[in-house]
Order: sequence, then C-alpha cells, then structure tokens
Amino acid sequence: MIELAEVEERLALFAEGIAGRYLHIKPSSEFTSRRLRLGVEESALTRDTLYLPERLATVDPAAYRVLALQQLCHREFGTFRFNIEEARARVAALGPMQVPEVGVRLSDFQLLFQQFSRPDLASRLLQIAERARVDTLMMGHYPGIRRHFTAYCTLLLNGSPPVPVDGLAPLLHALDCHLLGAPRLLLEDLDQTARLGRMLENLLHIQQSPRDIYQSVAACCDLYKACEDLPQDLTGDVVLPLEEELDSPANWLQREGRLDDWREDLAALEEQMLAVDMLEGDEALAGESENLQDGQVRPEDINLQTLKNQRDTLARRIDMERSAIQDAVGRPLLDARSFRYDEWDYLHRRYLPHWCRLYEERLEGEQNPDLQTLQAVMRRHGPSVQKAFEQIRPQGYQRVHRVADGDELDFNALIAARQDVRAGQTPDERVYSRRDRVHRDVCAAFLVDLSASTDDPIDPPPPVEWDDEEFPNLREPAARDADDPRAPLTPAEDDPPRRRIIDLQRESMLVMSSALEKLGDSYGIYGFSGYGRDCVEFYVAKEPSEAFTTRTLAAIASMKPKRSTRMGPAIRHAVRKLIQSGNAMKVLLILSDGFPQDTDYGPERGEHEYGVQDTARALQEAHDKGVETFCVTVDRSGNDYLKRMCPRSRYTIIEEIEDLPEALSMVYQTLTR
Amino acid sequence: MREAANLANLDEEPYYLPVGDEVEIFQAAYESRLPVLLKGPTGCGKTRFVEHMVWRLYRQGPVSDVAVPLITLSCNEDLTATDMVGRFLLQGDSTVWQDGPLTQAVRSGAICYLDEIVEARKDTTVLIHSLTDHRRLLPIDKTGELLPAHPDFLLVMSYNPGYQSVLKDLKPSTRQRFVSLAFDYPDPEREAVIIAHESGVDDPTAERLAVIGEKVRNLKEHGFEEGVSTRLLIYTGALIRRDISPRRAADIAIVNAVSDDPTVQDAIGDIIDAVLP
Repeated sequence: MIELAEVEERLALFAEGIAGRYLHIKPSSEFTSRRLRLGVEESALTRDTLYLPERLATVDPAAYRVLALQQLCHREFGTFRFNIEEARARVAALGPMQVPEVGVRLSDFQLLFQQFSRPDLASRLLQIAERARVDTLMMGHYPGIRRHFTAYCTLLLNGSPPVPVDGLAPLLHALDCHLLGAPRLLLEDLDQTARLGRMLENLLHIQQSPRDIYQSVAACCDLYKACEDLPQDLTGDVVLPLEEELDSPANWLQREGRLDDWREDLAALEEQMLAVDMLEGDEALAGESENLQDGQVRPEDINLQTLKNQRDTLARRIDMERSAIQDAVGRPLLDARSFRYDEWDYLHRRYLPHWCRLYEERLEGEQNPDLQTLQAVMRRHGPSVQKAFEQIRPQGYQRVHRVADGDELDFNALIAARQDVRAGQTPDERVYSRRDRVHRDVCAAFLVDLSASTDDPIDPPPPVEWDDEEFPNLREPAARDADDPRAPLTPAEDDPPRRRIIDLQRESMLVMSSALEKLGDSYGIYGFSGYGRDCVEFYVAKEPSEAFTTRTLAAIASMKPKRSTRMGPAIRHAVRKLIQSGNAMKVLLILSDGFPQDTDYGPERGEHEYGVQDTARALQEAHDKGVETFCVTVDRSGNDYLKRMCPRSRYTIIEEIEDLPEALSMVYQTLTR
Repeated sequence: MREAANLANLDEEPYYLPVGDEVEIFQAAYESRLPVLLKGPTGCGKTRFVEHMVWRLYRQGPVSDVAVPLITLSCNEDLTATDMVGRFLLQGDSTVWQDGPLTQAVRSGAICYLDEIVEARKDTTVLIHSLTDHRRLLPIDKTGELLPAHPDFLLVMSYNPGYQSVLKDLKPSTRQRFVSLAFDYPDPEREAVIIAHESGVDDPTAERLAVIGEKVRNLKEHGFEEGVSTRLLIYTGALIRRDISPRRAADIAIVNAVSDDPTVQDAIGDIIDAVLP
C-alpha cells in the first residue's frame, strides 16, 4: 500500500517538469464540486490540480507517476482541444448526424455524445479509444515509463481478470483488459458475442499509428456500431452512468480550452471592427466625391453592425461560460503552490502526518495603493532603527596583511623579508596585503499574523509626542512645520480613525525593511492566515532574493486581516524557506496578536492548548534545524501562553509602534550576533 | 596569479550552432568596436560563442596579426582591479611591473572576455568605464600610465541575470555602455544537434537528452535557478559514449549537478527515468 501524501511533493515536481507548469496534487477524495463527482479510485485533471487516488495497492511509487503521466498526456496530446465542428468535418461517420447549435450549456464532448442514441455508451467507448491513443503516444514520448506502466497494468489485471464476454458490461471490461495488456487470443477465446474481434481490431489500429483525438472519435463511432444493439446489463457488475452523471472534469477542461478559443475569436472580431471603422473613416473622406445614390447603404455599415452584434453575443457567452466553469470546478489557484505539513497532536503525543495543506501565494498590491501613510511611517521611525542597526553593521572591507598574494605589497613584511635575507635566513614569502570583504551571511524571515483579530483597534498611544518631545530637532527648528515628515501620522480630525493591530504590524514591517535594506541582510516578509487544516494561507510579500521595491511596499500595504491563526504550518513553511535560502545564519521573527487558533486546531474549537502545543513544537523543530526564532506579540495577555510556547528569552510583548524600533533592533542584534 | 586568465590561440574553428542573428550582430558590433554584453544562463554557449567569433574575426576575417586573440578572465569575488591591470612583483632587490590580462589585451589588440562580470569587485567597473566609451583608455594608477587601447581591442562581458542576487546586479551606468545579446538554451531540436556534435552520441540519444533538458528546466525555480545547462547534457552524452548506462550517466551528470535537495533530485531522476528508453 502506498499513500499519495508520501509521494506528493516529489510527484508535484515530476508533474511540473513534464507539464511545464505547477499543478496541485490532491487525493480524489478532496475533489469538491457542486456539479461533479469523482470516485476515490479515479484520477482526473483540472486546470490547476491533478487528482489521484489517495492510496494504491502497490508498494511501487512509480505507479503514481504512471497515473499522473496518463493525465498529463491527455493534455499534451490534445484530448481537450476537441472541437465538435472539426469532428463533423473530419469524421465521416458523424456527418449525417443531426448537430444542434453549439450551446453554452454543454461541452463539445457532450454535444458529440448526444449524437448517439446511447450517449453513456458513446462516452465510455470514446474514453477507451482515447486511452488506447494517449497511452501509446505516452509510451512513445516517455519510453522510460513503459516498464512501470506494464507493472501497474499487470497489477490491475490481476485484480480484475477478464471474464467470459456474454453482454455489454463484460465486453467493455474486455476492452479495458486489452488496454491493460491482456493477450488478444485469451480475450477472443472468452468472447461469446462475436463482436470483440472487430472492436479489438479498431483499437489495435489506433495503437499502431496513433494520431489525434479525431482518430479516437472515428474509432468510437466504429466501436459503437459494433455493440449498440447489445442491451444494457441490468444485472452486470458494470453499471454505466446515467446521462446526467456523464459529466466529468474532462468536459470542463474542454470547455475551458474552448473558452480560450472564444476569447481569441472575440479579439479577432474586435480587430475586425477596428479595421472596418478605420476604413469607413477613410472612405468618409473619399466618399464626398463618390456620390452614393439615394438609399444606397454602404456594405461596411451593415458589416459593422453585424460585427458588433456578434461581438456582444460572444462576450455574453464567454461571461456565462466562465461563471459556469467556476461554479463547477471552483476558482483555479493557478499562482499558488501547495505544501503539506505534519502537525503535533499533544493529546496523543504523536505527529499527524501530512495533516495540513498550506497554499503559498504572492501578495499582490492593489492597483493604486495609498502608500503615503506608510512612507511617512518609514521616514518617521526609520532613522532610529537604522541607527541601532548601524552598530551591528560590519565594515565592508578589511585589509589582510602578510598574505602570499594580494593587490599591494605589504611594506612591513617586505622589510622583514629583506632583513631575513641579509641575515642569511629564509624569508617569509608572504609579502602582500589584500582587501577582503567581510560577510554578514544572515537571512531573516518575518512572519506576520493576518488573522481576523488583527482588525481590532489597539488602545490609543499615550499622548506623549514621542518624536517631538524626546527627540526635539535642535538643528533645524524651522523644519517642524506642516511638511515635517516627523509630524504625527494622522492629522487632527474630529473622529480620527482608530489604529488597528494590523496597522501596527504593517508599519513595523516597513520600518524593519528599510533598516535591513541598509544593513544588507537578506530578508523575506510573509503573512499567514487560513481556515481549517486543508487551507492554511501563506502570503509572500517579499522573498529574500528580491529587492525592496514599490511593489513590495504595495504588497505590505495590502496585508489585511483575513481568517484564523494556524501558526504551526506557517512556521514550518517559513523554516523551510529559510533553510532553502542557504544562508549560514537563519532568523525567524513572528509578529502576532494572540494565541494560535483555527476552526479545527484541536479537539474543541475554544480550546487553545492544542494550538499552543503545536506551535511550540514547530518552534522547537525550527531550533533543531538551526533557525533562531523570536515571537513579538502585541497581546498583553501574551505572557500566559507565550511562556508555554517558547523560552522567556525568545519572546517579547510590545504595546505600540514606538516600542518597536528598540524592541526589534535589540532582538535582531541579539539573534544575529 | 590568482585570477583564472585563459589565453587562447584559436587555430581551429570552435563549433558553434547559431540560434538567431547573433553572429552577424557580433560582427557588426566588432566592426564598430562596440563593447558587447552577453546575457544568459550558465552553460548555454556564451563562452563558446565568443571563441567562435574570435576565430571568425581573427583567424578568418580582417584581423590576423594578434598572436593571442582572446583573453578570458573568469571573474570571482576576489578578483580586484589589480588582478586585471597588473602589479609589481619582487625580483631580487627590485620590483618589476607585470601586466595583468586586461592590460595585455589592451596593448596587443585582443578581445578581452570578462566572464560573469558581476562577480568581480566593484573597483573593476572604473576600468571598464574608461575602456568602453569613446576614450578607450586604460588608466594604470600604480604606474601612472594612461594606456590607449589598440585599435583591434574589444571588451566583451558576460553575465547571468537569473542566478546572481539582486544585490549583485550590474549598474545601469555599466550596462548602458554595452550592446546586449541575450542568450538562452536552444530549442530541443537544435540542442539535440549540438549534443550529438559535441558528445558524439547518436541522434536518438541526443534527442532524448534534449527532451530531458527541456523538462528539467521547467523545474528551475526549485532551489536551482539555472535548470540543466546544455553543457551538462553534453557531459551526459559524453559519458554515454564511453559506455556508461544512460540512466547512470544522467544521474551523475545531471541529477547531482543541478540540485542538492533530495526531493528535487528524486523528481529529476523520475523525469529522466520517464524520458529515457
């Protein structure tokens, strides 16, 4: 028995390599849709996810690769590029059939199946023909998979061997067995309907020279003819799905592909309209001398109106189709990546393996964010933090004396060497000096809690004007006017907006960033939230390898209170990122506003001990992996649970941003020393 | 000397398969003595391209009387301006001046190729600036000499935008002194031709190796920014040619070379396993 969770990460990389883009890997049981169902044994591909059975009855992990590759090959070899118009044009057997108007409601596959009196059977037969085609192409393009494919097929075949063919269900089963590699002679020996031979011939033809999906459609027509008169077995093991159950993710993938085609059509129509429009403009000038006769309408006029109508219809259709697709298969998470993490269950003193699914997404700034407030904060608090940081900043270069090779001669060494020569001794040959760069090899990760509670207001700061009273600007007293960047943030109003915890967190991140930027350490800024163990959200505002730009600023500005606080997986993910950074010194700073909690973080919702224990365990894991951690919280009751999560030297509680420069720089100095 | 200066005579034609119009562009740039910047990932053929062009220009084309037409400097973070320009050496009781590779090239009219320039220390940019604008001068401050460049001299640099960190990027003032040629890995068909030529494997094997290259490059964000280079694929081919089994050859030349992360290594192994017959 092999579990998907065990191979998920490796399989995701494999799929990304083959497909050229990232796909989430999930067990079929996690497939949720209001319209579709997916059996737990089935595999399927949607736009962003590859669904595979949760466990397989084999010990060979390559079986999962076979299943994944089969799904990916359907995309690679054009199954979803199927188009009903082209099918009619290319498959002679379809020609005389009645084809309804292309509707929005159905995929082209469903339109095809409706051509048959038994759509369920046609669907099943196309699936068989298409598997014959895609599997063969797969073996040609990825020859290395053949041995794994054979092994897996043998396993399946042993699980359900061919049976005497006396009706439709056993007949279809025999075709399946053929695809799994059952010997043809054996199958034909079992055949009592005298149809199998002809049908196998059809499949063999595809397998000998596989082409495109329309070849499979043609084969499907032939297969259908061969067995359409067989009644549906009511007693058989294999029950064909009812027509309304015919829907499958493949239909929706086809519809998504069709949507792209429509979008291209729309763009073409708009281009055409523009061209006609311009032509008309030209002709309007020329037309003055053209003398059109009364009542004569220029053909372009009609043309433009028709084009407009066409475009509007198409645009409406695209909108409807898009919402239908989202309704069926959900909003695709195309830019996110998913990861699984264990969770510590302190009640049973064990890890729950692959318990949480974490989605990593980029935090994109809004279109026109209001950055002035944040920039003002940076100007206001930046200098003091920076001053503190400058003390830990090493000199860029140091001259190293008495080395064997360098850019300058070291005169002291030279004189000593000459003395030695005169004295008849062997001189030291290291007579150069060299400037060496002094490295600070630090990577810091800031993990900001974006739970809903960060929306809460914080108590207004004491009325002391920190900047004016304690640090009066004696040099330029004239500068303390309205333009003063050090002036209070919010101008006095009747009802000033209350500062929330999230504001404090955002501002802290900015002040730290600007200071670290000067220090030259690499650092990442992440936010986390989520809801439930299968949806932990991890937001990336800045990766350590990126420079701090206005985009980062916008991303930080767009940090908003979201949902819960499942801290364990977020810490584990941040630690993973730190380890990947490859820096010698790794620091994780967590900014939060309260204890860890989530809807299913523990046996009962209101109970916090489970979350605290898991977080403590995650922090311990980080420590074991060589990552220095520190928690900063704005929760005054933080002492209660923080001391159970980490040692006293590893957390601090702050009350206002004014405390932050000192607190953070002290923390950072201690940690990176 | 610490720097890895490489002097090439280039009597034989170095193999190079053009992907676009880069040969014509380089030729035109050389004729106008415009400094050239080659951008592209590691192992995609930048150095080979320079060698090929030097051979074309100095051994086939207009310039012929330079004994060592190409001087390559592989830059690293210890490479200083002194290493490039030259230094005083001790000789008996006196010191003698020794030209560095850049000075040699400037004097003799060779092409000086600075490989991975952003790795070099910042003080080297001063030299680059005066050599790459209309002045074409090399100031040697240790001797007080202001050396005008030989008419045939040209400076060519390469850099790798993906792999260097943002902190180590080229300054615009440096970048804007060069005409830039962007390089990338060739498409699988061309790459197969290159692999077959360079390693001597048969065409079907070369084609399989090119597919591996294409697929593994899809994973380049996972701990290895570069993907697998054409050079590594050629190494694999060369090992296969020496009767190492293809999977084993790919294992040592590709899997272990591009990543240290065990999961990524496993996944690359899986891809190779699927693509190879």
